[in-house]
Amino acid sequence: MNRIATVACILLLAPALDAHAAAIVGSSAPPLELRDADGKNVRLDAYKGKFVVLEWVNRQCPFVRKHYGSGNMQALQKKYTEKGVVWLSICSSAPGKQGYVKGPEAKEWMAEEKAAPTDFLLDPKGKVGKAYGAKTTPHIFVIDPKGKVVYNGAIDDKPSTDREDIETARNYLALALDASLEGKKVEVAATQPYGCTVKY
Amino acid sequence: MTRASTRHGLTRTACSMWAAPVLLALSLTAPGEASAAGGNVEATLLSERTAVAPGIPFHVGIRMKIRRGWHIYWKNPGDSGLPPKIDWVELPEGFAAGPIEFPLPHRSAENDLMTYGYDRDVILLVTITPPRVIKADSVTIGGLLQWLECKDICVPGNAMLRIALPVSSAPVASGSGVVAIAGALSQLPQDPAGWSLRAEAGRRAIALDFAPPKGITPREAYLFVDEPLVTEHATPQRLERMKNGYRLSLEPAANARGNLARLSGVLVIEISGRSPSRLGVNVDLPVTPGDPPPVPIATGPARWPVLPAAGALGVACLALALYWNRSRRRSISSGTPTGEQP
Repeated sequence: MNRIATVACILLLAPALDAHAAAIVGSSAPPLELRDADGKNVRLDAYKGKFVVLEWVNRQCPFVRKHYGSGNMQALQKKYTEKGVVWLSICSSAPGKQGYVKGPEAKEWMAEEKAAPTDFLLDPKGKVGKAYGAKTTPHIFVIDPKGKVVYNGAIDDKPSTDREDIETARNYLALALDASLEGKKVEVAATQPYGCTVKY
Repeated sequence: MTRASTRHGLTRTACSMWAAPVLLALSLTAPGEASAAGGNVEATLLSERTAVAPGIPFHVGIRMKIRRGWHIYWKNPGDSGLPPKIDWVELPEGFAAGPIEFPLPHRSAENDLMTYGYDRDVILLVTITPPRVIKADSVTIGGLLQWLECKDICVPGNAMLRIALPVSSAPVASGSGVVAIAGALSQLPQDPAGWSLRAEAGRRAIALDFAPPKGITPREAYLFVDEPLVTEHATPQRLERMKNGYRLSLEPAANARGNLARLSGVLVIEISGRSPSRLGVNVDLPVTPGDPPPVPIATGPARWPVLPAAGALGVACLALALYWNRSRRRSISSGTPTGEQP
């Protein structure tokens, strides 16, 4: 009875504590449960034991186009999924807003771009995007095998829509993954993400 | 002399829609100005002098005419966006160009996100310093301006801006740009002469304590922080009257990089019954470690009255449960040999 009362109280407190939800570096990643482009249910905790990349995407955003049009994002997806990293691309655009996709469109776009994430997840209500504090497209999160956030921020250090900048940019995501895969601490674990606003 | 270039993919419709006004703008351009256009923003370069005097710095203005409904960004764009930048690719030998000086920015809230910028016509300023000796009779100053223009969607824009000016040994401060640039100078944040400013920050809040010069009573205040990962831009800042001035409280960024060493940006206050009604000062302060009270968390106007209520109810409920728990344990322990002390 006592325990039930305490649990009930904590549940009551939860929304207040959760008011400023975000994926904070060093803390546990917020829960994630979404349908993928095939309509299959995907949960983050199913990937425990692996490094997971979350990439917020809006195919019509010029910043996203910079990284897909140049092939940069696909190359990263291929390189790291081959090393056993799980890569989840997530679209949080609301219906009617820029970048909103249903499953078949998402698959078509992925085929067109030769995108190679582990999965493409649909978050039209923005629930997961808001829980993580995803602000821009792209916005990158890296989660370690224990479910802790080890990187939150920009894909690289050149905030622009210019493809030419990719070559000279310091890729924060690659640095975070390389360090993580070698069992080292991520040196730059939080950066300011750049891009279009997530179209919640 | 004048060239408009658009490197990024504007749609054909956008181009044809804007071709007419752009051509019109080009034909109306006075000598000594250069004009170009992006999709929804038209950029022009102005000079506060009709001639360049050797060794005497002067301002040029980047005038950006923004189509209704669209906006561009301040030097710290906030949660998304990009600030305009100019690369002075055509600067005569010995000339130096300073950084872009931004006029007071405005806030733009969208869902749970906040950005800083301009949705009306704006002039960004740059100081050009000519060398002490100029051999030529005239000089051309040119830069590639790049910006991001956004409505519900974002489009990158860029334009090559040029201005040709004769060289004269006597300083000349006139021309069509003078009035516009004088106006822009008055929109820049001022140095906080006569202000008292102090910053304190802890894990739960950042507090800026300030007192404006006598006779200025802020109705509203907002600190546009200019560094990333300092504050949660979307959390409303709270202004409180204190004994010796005011306190503005900000929520630290969720992913802040440890202890904040300096607090910098532009403090903008709204004043009633005074002109101008909006005033901004530059802030760049060392931060005293402390523990200012937290900012009431508000991710949206509809949510926030509910949250403290739920929180308070939760806390009261927990306290009650704990109390009940303790009193029960006490009554149990009195009856058991290994019982805890009350």
